[in-house]
Formats: sequence, structure tokens, C-alpha cells
Amino acid sequence: MLDIAGLRYSYPGAAHAALGPVSFSVQRGQILGLLGPNGAGKSTLVAHLAGLLPIQQGDIRIEGQPLKAYRRLDPTRIAVAPQDYAFYPMLSVRENLECFAGVNRLKATAARDATTRALGIAQLESHADVRGERLSGGLKRRLNLAIALLARPELIVLDEPTVGVDAQSRSFLLDTIKRLATEGAAVIYTTHYLEEIEAIADQVAILHRGKLLRLGPLSSLLAEGASHLTVGFAQAPAPDLLDHLQAFGTARLTDKTLRLQRLPDVSPVAALTAIEACGTPILEIHAGRYTLEQLFMQLTDDSAETAP
Amino acid sequence: MMLALLRKEMLALIRDPHALAALFVMPAVFIVIMSLALKNMYAPPVNQLDYSFDVREHTPLAQRFVQNWEATHGTARPLNPDWQAALSQGELAYVLVLESGLSEAFVTPQPPSHAVVRLLTEPGLSQSALRTLQAETAGVVGELRAAALTASLGLMAGDDLSIRPFMASEVAGKVAVKPNAVQQNVPAWLAFGMFFVVTAISSLFIQEQRDGTLARLVSMGVPARQLILAKALPYLAINGIQAILMLAVGVMLMPLLGGDALSLAGIHWPALIGMLASLSIAAIGFALLIACLARTHAQANTLGPMLNILMAALGGIMVPTFVMPAAMQQLAAWSPMNWGLEGLLTVLVRHGDMADVAPWAIRLVMFGSVTLLLASILFMRRIKP
Repeated sequence: MLDIAGLRYSYPGAAHAALGPVSFSVQRGQILGLLGPNGAGKSTLVAHLAGLLPIQQGDIRIEGQPLKAYRRLDPTRIAVAPQDYAFYPMLSVRENLECFAGVNRLKATAARDATTRALGIAQLESHADVRGERLSGGLKRRLNLAIALLARPELIVLDEPTVGVDAQSRSFLLDTIKRLATEGAAVIYTTHYLEEIEAIADQVAILHRGKLLRLGPLSSLLAEGASHLTVGFAQAPAPDLLDHLQAFGTARLTDKTLRLQRLPDVSPVAALTAIEACGTPILEIHAGRYTLEQLFMQLTDDSAETAP
Repeated sequence: MMLALLRKEMLALIRDPHALAALFVMPAVFIVIMSLALKNMYAPPVNQLDYSFDVREHTPLAQRFVQNWEATHGTARPLNPDWQAALSQGELAYVLVLESGLSEAFVTPQPPSHAVVRLLTEPGLSQSALRTLQAETAGVVGELRAAALTASLGLMAGDDLSIRPFMASEVAGKVAVKPNAVQQNVPAWLAFGMFFVVTAISSLFIQEQRDGTLARLVSMGVPARQLILAKALPYLAINGIQAILMLAVGVMLMPLLGGDALSLAGIHWPALIGMLASLSIAAIGFALLIACLARTHAQANTLGPMLNILMAALGGIMVPTFVMPAAMQQLAAWSPMNWGLEGLLTVLVRHGDMADVAPWAIRLVMFGSVTLLLASILFMRRIKP
């Protein structure tokens, strides 16, 4: 469905590229969770897909067609729900939906049908005549999403769609997004909330400082932790600990935390025995699969350390 | 798509009470207040002013002066002993002093060594009323002196030596309407109100940018020219409604409030519609330019009204250009609001036709086109990265 190859973008006057080069694909029915701290390049990527930024370098194709040609053919096949409440606060929910349905070039009857359908998907029927400015945060998010779904898009880009909403609305929004993917849409979902990615994403892309640090199915990314051993000490261990561990794998010591990537033939028990032999009291041990948070923190820490 | 965008603009405007007040209530209120306040500036009521005579010579000639004057200015109030205090406090508008020696001075061929008729006025009397009284006093003095001289020479014993039959006052051109405060203020505040679309247009435009709605519309593939057109077209209709409302205030409301009525009898309607359309194009172009220049509500709400008020002050909206000094009048000719006002006055007061209003209309359309072009360039830059 969506193929991005070597996409790179620099804002005028900026010393470093805001994005890229990045390459990845998203298939129909798939949800790609796009993770990254502020300034990672998520919004720049979303702006490209929304047609708001020109492609400086690289290529974006949808169904094999260049993005520009695909958008020219029918811009409504890609829907972007921006992070802001991008609707008219002085219009009611229904008037907003009818307005954007008209903007989506839907004729009168089709626009009414699309409005009714979007109201249903977002469960906003009972608020249809309430002005946008009078909705709660959660309902505003639903309206923001409902507008994106008016024209039955094939690619849906959601930029932090759950910011500032309560747990119930968040759960509803996540369920809705999963259902959209099940119905065949390709979804790109950016967020700061790692638990949301764990809840709905099939694929995860981790961006940091414009670079794509990891991309893959969530399960395989989390399994990367299987060969890792993380040990937290009560105090900083002696520096020669790393020399002792060379035979067990690649070790890195940050203050009171040791991270060891074990060689394939080294068991966790053997590695732990060697670490314990250094004599520094151990407070915690983590071995096996990462949580997404651990993976994210480790990748972004590593990236920060190796940055120029 | 266009219909949806137009509907959105109209709904947004209808639900913005501040914009509605600026567009409809403010100019209507200005028309009422300023027309009533300036009513006497256009027709000073000198025949209704309180005045007295101080007659220091009781001769038939002095008596005849008083009679002639009272015939057109009403009966004089008795002269109280404290009349000078009453005059300085404005309780009396003026006092005519007929000095002793008046009759002798009138029959003497040489000019008198001192004035025998003195006009004393209160400090606050308007200059136009003063000039009118001065002219009328001179007229009566002239008539009576002529009568006295001819009688003394035995040339003519008749009483009718009025100078009025010798002169006439005519207005050149097609004027069919007597200029009055309403005739000046309706077009003036209509032009001012039409330019106030700037607040409504810039308010929604800035909100659309701030909320990301504009970016959303662009990402939905709405062409920039349609976005601009959708912003401009509703305000052509709004300006039309403003014009109907302000003209109705002048024609119907002002007489009920004791003011003069705006007369539309005999005006050239196509010229009026053409002028209003030109004015609307200029106002919308200007408003879109301000909307594209401003980045925040605070900027738009300061810049737009401030420039409007400057254009109005300069362009003869607040103070008619004919009371301005020559240098200010030249400066006024640079204000688009002045072009609108002059064009509307040409239709409403001078009963001009399309050819007569063309110079003003062309300037306004050119101003509107240039500002619209600049706004379009800024708009394209604003919606592109």
C-alpha cells in the first residue's frame, strides 16, 4: 500500500536533516506505530503524507504510484487526523462533518450518508447538534477522527490522536482504529504513549533525530531483548568489570547499570555468575524480552550517545 | 466543495457576535449619532437663534432696521441689563448694536469713522452661523443705506430697495438634493463599515491557521484559489446587506429620530450598485491582505481596525473633506475610503451616473486587485512549507 524509500527532508536553514533518510512500507490492514521523542521527525513524515511538504529526496509511493500523482487522482484516499483540533469550533458536530464531506467532493446525498456513518463510527450521534467548542476533550478527538474517516480513506494517518483524553475515550479511539485496520485500511499511528503502540500496532517504527532506529513487527522487536542482560548495581562497579566480561559478550556500563549482549553460547546464569564475582551488590536483574519502553529507552539512549 | 466552504464562512460569521456588531451595528450607530450631531453644520439655524437688539438711536431708520431683521429672524428678546454676561455665557447667541449716529452715517456719502451697526456674538457660535449673520447684517445695512441715500437725494421715495431681486443662488449640475448631515454620513459610515469586514475575515483565517484547519483543507486537496475565493465571495453579499441596511437607516430611521432623511429619489441605481461593488472589492482585498499579514488575533485586531480608522480620518469619513485645509484635502485623496465616499456622494448628492463615478470605481477596483494579488501571494506562502 505505502512504500517510502530513502525519504529525507531538511527545513530551510537547518544544519541537520529533520528526517531521514527513512524507508519503510505499510500494508493494507496493518497498523504501523510510529514512535519517537519530540523532534524525532514524526510530524515531518506526517506532513509529507498530508501533502504539506514537498519531497526533497527519496520517494513515496502508494499502490505503486508516486504520492503526488495518487493525491492528484483523489486526495481523499489519504486522510490525516492532525494533532490539533482541526475543525470549526463555532460549527456543530454535524455541520463540521457536512462541511468536510463537501470539501471531500461528496455530493449532497453522499455527504449526508458519510456524515451519518462518521457520526456512528465516532459514536457522536447524541452530540451531533452540539457546537465543536462545547465538546469535551475526548469528544473533540472523536470529531477530529470522524472528519478523517468521511471519505472512507485507504491510508489513515493519525498524529497523536489521544492527547489529552480520558481513559474511556482513549480505549474507544483505539478500538475504532483497530476496526478500521481490520476493514482494510492502512494506518500510521504516531504517539508518545508506548502502551497504545503495544495495544494496537502490528509494526513499530522508532524514529530518533530523523533516523529510523528500528522497524519491524512488535513481537520481534521486543524479542531483541532475549539475548540482553541488564543488571542494576547498588553502587558503581569497578571499571575492570568490563574486561572480565569480554568473554561473555558485548558489555556497556552506564553509571550503576550494566548492559550485556550475550554471545549465543553464553547462558544467562554463566554471565550472571561472572558479574556477581566482581563483588558489587546487585539490586536488580532483567533478562529476556524487552518491554517496549525498555527497547525505546535503550535505542534512544544509544542514539544520543553516538550522535555527533 | 465551493458550496461547503461558502456555507462554513457564512455560519462562522453569523455566530460571531463581535464581527456582526462591527459590520452592522457600529456603522448604523455612527450614522445616527453623527448625523444628529452634525445636523446644524450643514444648515445653521440662524433664524432660530436667541438674540437681542441694543438700539442706541431711536430714529425711523433704526426702527426699520429692527423690523427688517425681525421679519426674517423672529422677534428679538428684550435686552436685559446683564446682556453682556448672557452673551458670554451663550444664553444669547448674538446682539445687534445700532449705534447712535446710524441715520446720519447712512445718508453721508463718505464711510463713517466708526461702525454704526455692530454684531456681537457668543464665543461658541459656529463659524458658518457667524458668516451667515455677517452676510445678512451687511445685506440689511446695504438696503437701508441705499434707501436713505436715495431719499436724501430726492431720487426715489419708494420703500422697496431690497437687494434680493438682484441676485440668485443656483447649483451647477444635476443636484436635486439639498446636502445635509444624513446625506454625508450615510455614505461615509457605509464605506467605513464595509472596510470592517477585515475583523471577520482575519479572525476566522487566523483561527484556521492556528487550529490546523487550513492545513487540513489543503491536505484534502482544496486549491488555494478556491480557499481565497471562498473567503471573498460571502463578504460581497455581506457588504451588500450592509449597504441596504445603512441606506434604510438613512431613509427610514433618521426622520423618526428627528434628523434629515436620506433621499434616494432620482439617483442612478446602476451607478450606486457599481460603486458599492467596487467599494466591496477594495474592502475585501484589503481585509484579505491584513488577514494574510497578521499571524495572531492580537495583530489582526490591532492592525485592521487601526488602518481602517486612519483611512477614515484621512478620507473624510469622520470630518468632511470640505472643512479640511487644502493640504489635508490633498492627503485625503490617497485614502481608498475617500474614493468610496466621493463616489457614493457623486451618486447620492450629485445624482451622477456610471461615467461620473468611474474615476472612483476604477481606483477602488485597482486597489482591491492589488491587495488581493498581494494577499494571494502571502496566502500561497502561508499554506506552503
